[in-house]
Amino acid sequence: MKPQLTLQSPLELPHQEISNYLNQLWISEDEDNSGANTFTLMIWQPAWLEQYLVQLGLIDGPIIGTLSPEIIKVAKNLILEKGISRTTSINSQELLTFLKGGIKNKDYEDFRGQFFESSISTLNPRRLITLAPTLNKESEIKTFVSAYCPLSDNNMSQPICGDLVVIRGDSNSINEKGLKIINELSIKDLPSWLWWNGSLDESPEIFDFFTKHGTRLIIDTANGSPKRCLEILNQSINLNKDINDLNWVRLKSWRESLAMIFDPPSRRAVLDHITEIDIDISGSNPLQALFLISWISDKLDWGFAKIDKDEEFIKIEFKRNNGEKIVTSINSLPLGNPSIHSGQVIGLRLISKISEVQKNNTCVILGCESVECMRLEAGGMADMQLIEQVVPNTFSSSESDVSKLLGSSRGNTSPLFENAIKIAVQIFNSLDKYL
Amino acid sequence: MTSALSNPLRLGLRQERVIPPQCLIIFGASGDLTHRKLIPALFELYLQRRIPSEFAIVGCARRPWTDKEFKEKMKAKLVDQISGNEKEWENFANYLFYESVDLQQNEHVVRLAKRLNEIDKLQATHGNKTFYLSVSPNFYGSGCKALKDAGLIDDPKKSRVVIEKPFGRDYSSAKKLNRIVQSCADESQIYRIDHYLGKETVQNILVMRFANTIFEPIWNRNYISNVQITSSETVGVEDRAGYYESSGALRDMLQNHLTQMLAVTAMEPPGKFEPEAIRNEKAKVLQASKLADEIEPWNCCIRGQYTEGGNSLKRLKGYRDEDGVNLNSTTETYIATKVFIDNWRWQGVPFYLRTGKRLPKRLGEIVLTFKDVPVHLFESTIINPSPNQLILRIQPNEGATFKFEVKSPGSGMKARPVEMEFSYDESFGEPSDEGYVRLLADAMLSDPTLFTRSDEVEAAWKLYTPLIELMENSPWKLPIHKYESMTWGPPESDQLLSQDNIFWRRP
Repeated sequence: MKPQLTLQSPLELPHQEISNYLNQLWISEDEDNSGANTFTLMIWQPAWLEQYLVQLGLIDGPIIGTLSPEIIKVAKNLILEKGISRTTSINSQELLTFLKGGIKNKDYEDFRGQFFESSISTLNPRRLITLAPTLNKESEIKTFVSAYCPLSDNNMSQPICGDLVVIRGDSNSINEKGLKIINELSIKDLPSWLWWNGSLDESPEIFDFFTKHGTRLIIDTANGSPKRCLEILNQSINLNKDINDLNWVRLKSWRESLAMIFDPPSRRAVLDHITEIDIDISGSNPLQALFLISWISDKLDWGFAKIDKDEEFIKIEFKRNNGEKIVTSINSLPLGNPSIHSGQVIGLRLISKISEVQKNNTCVILGCESVECMRLEAGGMADMQLIEQVVPNTFSSSESDVSKLLGSSRGNTSPLFENAIKIAVQIFNSLDKYL
Repeated sequence: MTSALSNPLRLGLRQERVIPPQCLIIFGASGDLTHRKLIPALFELYLQRRIPSEFAIVGCARRPWTDKEFKEKMKAKLVDQISGNEKEWENFANYLFYESVDLQQNEHVVRLAKRLNEIDKLQATHGNKTFYLSVSPNFYGSGCKALKDAGLIDDPKKSRVVIEKPFGRDYSSAKKLNRIVQSCADESQIYRIDHYLGKETVQNILVMRFANTIFEPIWNRNYISNVQITSSETVGVEDRAGYYESSGALRDMLQNHLTQMLAVTAMEPPGKFEPEAIRNEKAKVLQASKLADEIEPWNCCIRGQYTEGGNSLKRLKGYRDEDGVNLNSTTETYIATKVFIDNWRWQGVPFYLRTGKRLPKRLGEIVLTFKDVPVHLFESTIINPSPNQLILRIQPNEGATFKFEVKSPGSGMKARPVEMEFSYDESFGEPSDEGYVRLLADAMLSDPTLFTRSDEVEAAWKLYTPLIELMENSPWKLPIHKYESMTWGPPESDQLLSQDNIFWRRP
């Protein structure tokens, strides 16, 4: 999907005039063209990595705000060349801290909020508000406004138009001045979403502002400390607020592949005799694996029993209703290639024992590539009935994941995710004492 | 313990599209279809949590029922489905309303419009309306006009009309009906339903063909020798004699269900999986279809009518002895025909279509028989090596079978056929939805992919026009052959194929 451009250059206006300007924009002689009747999407778009790389001259500007293949390539090379741990994700704080050293307060072109993926624009958001915090200290905020009419392949008699607003400044000024105009920009009767496209550890006061305003949230728990991320999730479900997590969305192919294995009724009995599950992750953030294990335990009606943590693994024990024990483990694997999102699941092994005779037992292996499947086969797994499947971890952009969420749901928290969160929180609270 | 019936890891994974706030108005609510198919399908959608809270179902018919009576009658008819879901039914029943309406009387339609406004406000359905015409086909045109005159289908974004089959009686009446309907509503608002397209297995033909690399390269005249499409029923005319006497197997099954299966099997790949792209390809292939012998159509069609049969324990009446059937009826209860498709892909490949009542099995299937190997290197355990066959089972035991030759065990090198199986039951273990569940949801979601467009309907009628003309003008040229109940149709239908050295597959 290529980025869409606005038809007119965004107009810089004092923030006090934005609301009035937008109201005037949609007063038209053509009554039918009063803008899309869809939703407002607000995006917290720090793009720190991109800003650092542009500032350091490692990539050309302007700042756009999307994670381009060029940014990924340069960031991965930096991690490999500068001796940072190879498992580090390119979105990690470690990389940003490393880059911070060489930074100068240099000006650069910033087009954040003016470019957005066509996968999002074709959903015709009525209003796109981008909060674009800058590395440079800017005590004043700058605000830009523009109308846009995405062109579509469909033969529509009239394009469905929307508008966009960019609020730019440093985090403090956005917090102090930028948020004040958000309320004025909200469109009555239309749902509004916030996509927090940054670490959940940063700018908590800005994040909290949105959670208090009943906005539907899209976050990415791969980006932030597990504790803070789980707190946010837990709080949201306790307060009945809608929340969606891209880290959970990225688990979809794992959940679907595992369910697919047990679709044939002849395999269902295997589920009743699971004794072990191993989940391998890249990097150290255990949340995605925790969600996966929580989802499985919820669906199979297992109760959490206890947890144990080592440097490289977390062992979680569950109990079935009949008292049988299931030992699961989340293993952080050192990989030779920096990842994009921290803690992504790369392999799952499930062992089901119905007999002392090894060949009567079943081992299910899902791996993101054949090598991972082979690794999980070690230890005599091939002596059992082996069911293997490769689940490729293909990179889909966050924009595309967000557009799927916007296009397919009403924003409600997925009941599956909600149940998984509750179990993950219970497990994590026990784990907390180890951290 | 885990139930053998459901996969716990599957629960909640499937993300179904949620129907937007909506009022569904069913005309013909006192009829069979409403309580046999429509309300059960809607209740199923409710159980699947796909019905929004802002929803209403308004039953309309001439009978002077009240809302309460309508709810009670539906409840009485759905006993089996409600059993175990009593609480859900009570909640679902809150969506049910009834209005006594004769679509031919203006004041009734005006009164209905007023009631719909009230229900719209009460249920917050945002003015979204889907009208379902489950009435006699004679009233499709006038029904649409009545809706148009009452201003009920003025907004193409917020109103749709679903029309049941049969859409017309022949090419000219279908064309005329299309003109009337299109003068009342935009084509995008018209949903001509053919419940066969709602079947999972029919849709699976598209997925099998276009989501796999291996089928499409051989899905053509170079590799396929013939295609057989069968839809057979074990039941007789039952209580539908009134309708069936004026329709027969051609109008009741061949022109719609079987022809839609033909279209899905033979169409070219669409550029995109989008409604118009798919319907364009279906229309194109139907427009390229023709009877194998248009000049002397009696050479490519066999009509039959069932006679008494069954066994000593259960004797079955012949068609002419059924209640409501004319003693000298010449209505066909069986029809078999041979069709060619004039395009690059299918030139010269015969498509044999057959359908009938009181046949030995209830089934729907599409059988693609591949060409013989160029040289027979191996002896066969039977007389000749069998050609490869791909059998797509539409119902029951939904799935697919691929028949191919392997070496028969032993010291020799003899070939014998074996079967490779895919079964929905064995692979998924869950029953698929009734066609109406899918199609009702699609109509309310404004997704016309699985509905037939005007040009498709017209092309399907045009294809059989030589037969219809023959049946109406010189029926003696297309005689009715008798067949005993619970046999595979008249022997003459075997000759239709045997002259090409082909045989019907015995399922």
